[in-house]
Amino acid sequence: MNLSFNQESCTGCGACVKYCPGHVLEMGPEGIPYERYPDDCWYCGVCQVECPQDCITLLFPYLIR
Amino acid sequence: MKDPEVMEADFLIVGGGPAGCMAAIRAKELAPEMNVVVVEKAEISRSGAAGRGMDALNNVVVPGISTVEEYLEALEIVTDGVFDPTISRVIGERSFGILKRLETWGVQFPRGEDGNYIVNQFHPKGRFLVEMRGELKKILAREVKRAGATVVNRHTALDLLKDGERVAGAIGLDLTTGEFKVFIAPAVLLCTGGAARIGLPNTGYLHGTFDCPWCNGESWRMGYEAGASLTGFEYTARSSMTRDFNGAGQSTFIRHGAWLINGLGERFMERYDPERMERAPAGIRARAIIEEEKAGRGPVAFVFSHLDPGTIELIESAVFDVERPTMRDYFRNKGIDIRKDPVEVVMTEVYLCGGHGLAGLVADAWGETEVPGLFAAGDSLANPYGFLTGAMCMGEAAAERVVQKDYPSPTSPDTASKLKRLEEVRLRHDRGRLGVSLRDFEYKFRRLVNDYVAPPKSARKLQRFLDETEGMVAEQEDVPARGPHELMKAFEAKAGLFCARMAARASLFRTESRFGLYHERVDYPEKDDENWKTRVIIRAGMEGPVVEKEKK
Repeated sequence: MNLSFNQESCTGCGACVKYCPGHVLEMGPEGIPYERYPDDCWYCGVCQVECPQDCITLLFPYLIR
Repeated sequence: MKDPEVMEADFLIVGGGPAGCMAAIRAKELAPEMNVVVVEKAEISRSGAAGRGMDALNNVVVPGISTVEEYLEALEIVTDGVFDPTISRVIGERSFGILKRLETWGVQFPRGEDGNYIVNQFHPKGRFLVEMRGELKKILAREVKRAGATVVNRHTALDLLKDGERVAGAIGLDLTTGEFKVFIAPAVLLCTGGAARIGLPNTGYLHGTFDCPWCNGESWRMGYEAGASLTGFEYTARSSMTRDFNGAGQSTFIRHGAWLINGLGERFMERYDPERMERAPAGIRARAIIEEEKAGRGPVAFVFSHLDPGTIELIESAVFDVERPTMRDYFRNKGIDIRKDPVEVVMTEVYLCGGHGLAGLVADAWGETEVPGLFAAGDSLANPYGFLTGAMCMGEAAAERVVQKDYPSPTSPDTASKLKRLEEVRLRHDRGRLGVSLRDFEYKFRRLVNDYVAPPKSARKLQRFLDETEGMVAEQEDVPARGPHELMKAFEAKAGLFCARMAARASLFRTESRFGLYHERVDYPEKDDENWKTRVIIRAGMEGPVVEKEKK
């Protein structure tokens, strides 16, 4: 996984899902986004800057950490 | 199977990047009654290579600082003399106008202490790079909507429609529902970017690429199959990139005066291009880095410690606040402070790009290809090192031509046969007879690109690639891909394999070495201006691709 969503501050507004240029994210059944296609992430940071609650943290994968 | 939705347009723009946005805005401005439709794979305000941000316009002819002639002289050096000056001249002439337009929309171009734009040198010769700040892509998207163009987000184009010799629209895939959608239009602009997923990055991550991985040469495959020509595919570019950090950003370092050093602390560009040093053409810089590594003098890194604090701040604001904010996180994660620490660089995988290299669709001064009504712009157009500015200039030019020419509406587009074919392709992917994952399929041909197409090249290796991948072309539609996301990726992989094979063909044809590292042929080590200072063109013939020198 490349991203961590702060479950407490996420309001489930879906902005990250809407703007992700790679179709990586989807809304989960709990109303919290999750990475449906983690391999397709480019670490562009669009989800991070679009999140109005600032609740997304980028986790760099092990191979490049 | 129900009939797909049909949308009619006067001007269909495939790709909502800077080129597509500018085309839509310009068309609506000149012809408000025109029905302009932009098909965008993601969401237009954040899509593509420029989606997160861009920190400069690399090539603007600012009055009083440079001239169009100087711009063309710089390109002559950068492209090793292999470029069509017609399009580059248009870009030079329009570039300052684009800057002024962006400024009126709220894109910021910071001024120096003298009150003038901050213009830096990035090209080997001349100053054309203007610092830029602000949310460019969001602003462009806002202007597209304000102009009244229709934006169809989350759709990817899979094939073009023809009406006889003319273009007649496109068939798209709705990435939410998985339905096909038909777009009928007498004029189509292809601007879906370059092709990022050609070679395999050294990290092994398929999407860990230098260029935007969601752009993979779809315009080139579709344009070629519709009858347009390609050029520059032997320019198999590899850039230097911050180690393990996907994406561009090093032009920012270079233009602000960062030095490249090797593991011994030597400013090694002195050995390869003492006059231009770090600002040498990309292919020469790339070869220098590889030579240093090969000689055991690595790792290579950028250093900044000789720069004054103001310049360091400018670099950080450009990269961290605008172009690539995740680089801030990455540096923090690695404990890198550019005031004192070197930033290690590696060479990227092979990629193909119109605005960042030489590859692309061949077109006239308006961006129109040989197929009437079919245009190209941005990284999909062969506009050598036109970068972001070139994308917007040529989007604007294409729109002006479309408005001026008033193309007749298609009367008998080949919609039925194209849809039937796409349904068959979808069914084959759904059955997935090949039984290997899409990921393995893509990994395989990209690994072969590293082995056989990446420079240094030889006829033996290039031919081997074509032989090895021929079977993959035949079976690519049997790779399992179910649902819209996977089908999109299957088409991206298909375009990527198409581009890689075209790169091998063009590289095989150019029997000389040119472009520094990018077209280094060990079996033809010399540069041969007499025979080869010309573009290599690939077009579809009756029995497959025809590769030839450009006819003057």
